[in-house]
Amino acid sequence: MMQGTIPIKHKKTSQYNNSIISKIGFGLLYVVLAGVAVFQLFPLVWLMFFSLKNNQEIFNMSPLALPTNPKWENYAKVWNSGNIDLYFLNSVWITIAATAITILVASLVTFAITRMKWKGSSLVLGLFMVAMMIPVHSTLIPLFNLFSKAHLIDHPLSLIASYVAFNMPITIMILLGFYYTLPKEVEEAAVIDGCSVHKIFFRIVFPMTSSVLATTGIINIIYNWNEFIFVNTFISSDKYKTLTVGIQNFIGQYTTDWGAIGATLMISILPILIAFLFLSDKIVEGIAAGSVKG
Amino acid sequence: MDKVMSNKWIIALYVLPALLFIIAIVYVPIVLTGYYGLHEWNGIGSMTFIGLENYSAVLQDKDFWSSAGHSLILAVFSTLSLVLYLAVALVLSSKIKGSNVLRKIYLIPMLLSSVAIAQLWMKIYHPTNGIINTILEALGFTNTPEWLANPSIVLYALIVPIIWQYAGFYILIYYAALKNIPSSLEEAATIDGANAFQIAYKIKLPLAMEVIKVTIVLALVGSLKYFDLIYVMTNGGPNGASEVMASYMYRIAFKSYDFGYASAIGFFLLIICLVVTWIVRKLTATKEQIQYS
Amino acid sequence: MYKNKKMLVLLTLCFTLLVAGCGSNSSNKGNSSADGGSEAGAEKVTINFMHLWPEGISAGQNKIVNEIITEYQAEHTNVTIKTEVLENEQYKNKLKVLSASNKLPDVGVTWAAGFMQPYVEGNLLAPIEELLDGSLKDQFVAGTTEAYSMNDHTYALPLEFNIAPIYYNKDIFEQYSLEIPVTYEEFQNVVKVLVDNGVTPIALGNKDRWTGSLWYMYLADRIAGQETLANAIAGSGSFSDAGLVQAATEVQKLVDANAFNKGFNGLSNDEGKSEFVNEKAAMYLMGTWELPNFTTNEDYSQEFRDKVGFFKFPVFDGGSGNINGWVGGPGVGLFVAENSKVKDESKAFVEYFVQKWGERAVTGAGVIPATKVDTSTLELPALYIDLFNEMSKASSITLFADVQMEADDAEVHLKQIQALFGKANTPEQFAQEHDTAISAGQ
Repeated sequence: MMQGTIPIKHKKTSQYNNSIISKIGFGLLYVVLAGVAVFQLFPLVWLMFFSLKNNQEIFNMSPLALPTNPKWENYAKVWNSGNIDLYFLNSVWITIAATAITILVASLVTFAITRMKWKGSSLVLGLFMVAMMIPVHSTLIPLFNLFSKAHLIDHPLSLIASYVAFNMPITIMILLGFYYTLPKEVEEAAVIDGCSVHKIFFRIVFPMTSSVLATTGIINIIYNWNEFIFVNTFISSDKYKTLTVGIQNFIGQYTTDWGAIGATLMISILPILIAFLFLSDKIVEGIAAGSVKG
Repeated sequence: MDKVMSNKWIIALYVLPALLFIIAIVYVPIVLTGYYGLHEWNGIGSMTFIGLENYSAVLQDKDFWSSAGHSLILAVFSTLSLVLYLAVALVLSSKIKGSNVLRKIYLIPMLLSSVAIAQLWMKIYHPTNGIINTILEALGFTNTPEWLANPSIVLYALIVPIIWQYAGFYILIYYAALKNIPSSLEEAATIDGANAFQIAYKIKLPLAMEVIKVTIVLALVGSLKYFDLIYVMTNGGPNGASEVMASYMYRIAFKSYDFGYASAIGFFLLIICLVVTWIVRKLTATKEQIQYS
Repeated sequence: MYKNKKMLVLLTLCFTLLVAGCGSNSSNKGNSSADGGSEAGAEKVTINFMHLWPEGISAGQNKIVNEIITEYQAEHTNVTIKTEVLENEQYKNKLKVLSASNKLPDVGVTWAAGFMQPYVEGNLLAPIEELLDGSLKDQFVAGTTEAYSMNDHTYALPLEFNIAPIYYNKDIFEQYSLEIPVTYEEFQNVVKVLVDNGVTPIALGNKDRWTGSLWYMYLADRIAGQETLANAIAGSGSFSDAGLVQAATEVQKLVDANAFNKGFNGLSNDEGKSEFVNEKAAMYLMGTWELPNFTTNEDYSQEFRDKVGFFKFPVFDGGSGNINGWVGGPGVGLFVAENSKVKDESKAFVEYFVQKWGERAVTGAGVIPATKVDTSTLELPALYIDLFNEMSKASSITLFADVQMEADDAEVHLKQIQALFGKANTPEQFAQEHDTAISAGQ
């Protein structure tokens, strides 16, 4: 439906004319954009303030107010309690493993559904779509039973498998929209050149989708990083728990230490912030790589 | 070409891993859940087979249907807000200065977990020292709304943070889709004298259509089974005014200890998702992609 | 289609293999507790213990738990105790999932009455009344173990004992020359004076709903009397009893009088409490678990802590309740799983734990244990001493409604409470919904 190769020309064409009206228009646009940017940055700043307050300040002061006496001890409390470094490492490797498996497996199936010809493809796609509609809570008890029969309770594989399975449908759906727009000519040429299917996928199509891979990567990482229902249900040993249980450390039967929770959230947001900034650039790079190949 | 691209073994090799995962971890449990739905079971003792009694009880359960109504309202608003997300993505993906930095900033809220977002918005909505009411009072309003305690506005008060929470997710997808369009197309159109709006409308949107359709389904399904912020911010209250299907199901299963009935609710949630998705896909179907509907 | 079927068969096969494969690979971890068995005392056993006192927020309790475990392990070298800690709500959810698969921990924490009932009926909890005749004989405060007994068996031993006084801000009362109200009329007057002076009389976060339930329970106790309320909850009486309906009416009258802080139905208990702590609200009805916060907790300013006093819920003129009737009850207790492989060892541990906990809970965590405390030997803040004295004078304890009722009835009750406070129902509807739910459960 779309031409894959249009010769690139007039690289230096300026896009917008320089009339005064358009300058004012752009000025306004930037004001709006900057306003929205402030609004979007606000939560992070707020969380920072939040993490430096105690309950009294959190509930009584304006959310925008600086804490009178920054409670850095909230961070010390978080860092010195429990096995936070262990949880941290678990979060990192489980998130990475689950994300990598999800993306690879989802890409394979999306490729097979959109680029290969076989009878059951729409049925299989339907299966994935329906899987997306199933609420997590209604699978908890049977899933626990299943894992316990497979001796996977209190084993990190139960987490990785659940993350992969539950994020698979949404990952496939996002990939799908991109695979449909990939020009077919690419593979046609490759087939004529005698490439195998594996080569077409791994050497040509997979690299071409790097922008959407980065997108789904970000989404998967965020989901896996923040997940806690499965961790709580399937894992009981400290040595396999992830960072999200760090929050629980500060929720009591009758009260909650919100400042410490804020500090935990700040600490746990940093790694995904870094991953996000890195992958976010890949979205743009992906185009360049793709267009070279195309 | 066809011969190579329809090799059964390769297809099986590519499809089976993913299928295995969802069949073992999503479908097997859901079939079991459907089976629990045929029983009276508190999740602890023995099960009593009661046939379709739970399922027919759901049909007459006005609390369920009111929560389904709330879920549908949320779904409508979430879907409509896609237009907004798309507009932002169009701006960010155009070649304006600083778009790279802006994009990163715009997506930061999506990194926050629901716990943090819920806390933030509870502070914004606080009836006395919340941000909104503080501003309203400064402007001279006296009887400021009790955002999360007033049954007639609470649902809408919750929809705002939900839409905001998901902004990053959809903007990210749209952004990638728009960036995927070869810039040569845009450049050619510029030379032909097209302005930014024409380029967006005539070139970018049609090329991103497949992705847009996918996001419509994602938004619908995602909001029909939405749970997180609502559970933390209002717990479905006051008296059920913000209850949605998933929170209702959770309450029945984990608070009322009626796992059989909760399973039946989960089944209806699935049916509603299927019906809504089917209708929407029929409405948005075009010739070339009917094949996979 | 035919091909698909074939594929599905193949898939199922693969899956079975996968599961089987995993099964044989991963060693029989988690069964280690089974290996010891209960035959000989010298054999190594592991007791799995699940509780809800994380180190971060419940430092006091967590420390006591760990001390007791260390000491127990030192005294019983063949026993290893493995703990798992979850926060309140996650704890309850996990307990539920575990019991659906019949995999409860050997020792765990449970709540009384209605919460425990399905577990007892499902034969998941071991009867442990024999422990009441051992070293723990006559150690418990009267009435606390009863909440954990069903069909002549005791299924858990309580660790906490809470009652709910009305905490108040002495400074605010003094400022408006208010006396501690003894009758409900005086109480209504206190509310009126405070409202007239622009002070919020009562702090309440009713998103959590059991908070509002406390008010209803007290009014019901004072107006209709403990027995009428107990009968209505048990299903032998009715919530449509004139006194109980009047209690609901009085709740709405308080709402109409602006007795509670603004937007209470949308606020959590933490948010509600902060109205009291920041001295915007004069009174706060809450359990004795708040005592550490109002006495020793350094997170609260000394000035504030010095201002906090408490009084008993006032009596209702012409009502059946008296001033020494309390709403409260044992908090959490310890159970032993019926199909634990180390049942005897677990029972011995529970006995030991309850004993030691009772000795340390007040001083170590500010928790009032269900076992008797000799206050004369302890140095305690005045607020504690006063409350201990009140407890010994208590004429009756009405268990918190959401603990007392069966789970699904409790849900109806809590929802109706929020509706009542939000004036979304009438007292008659409130009564009707309760009766319907309770009779349906019988």
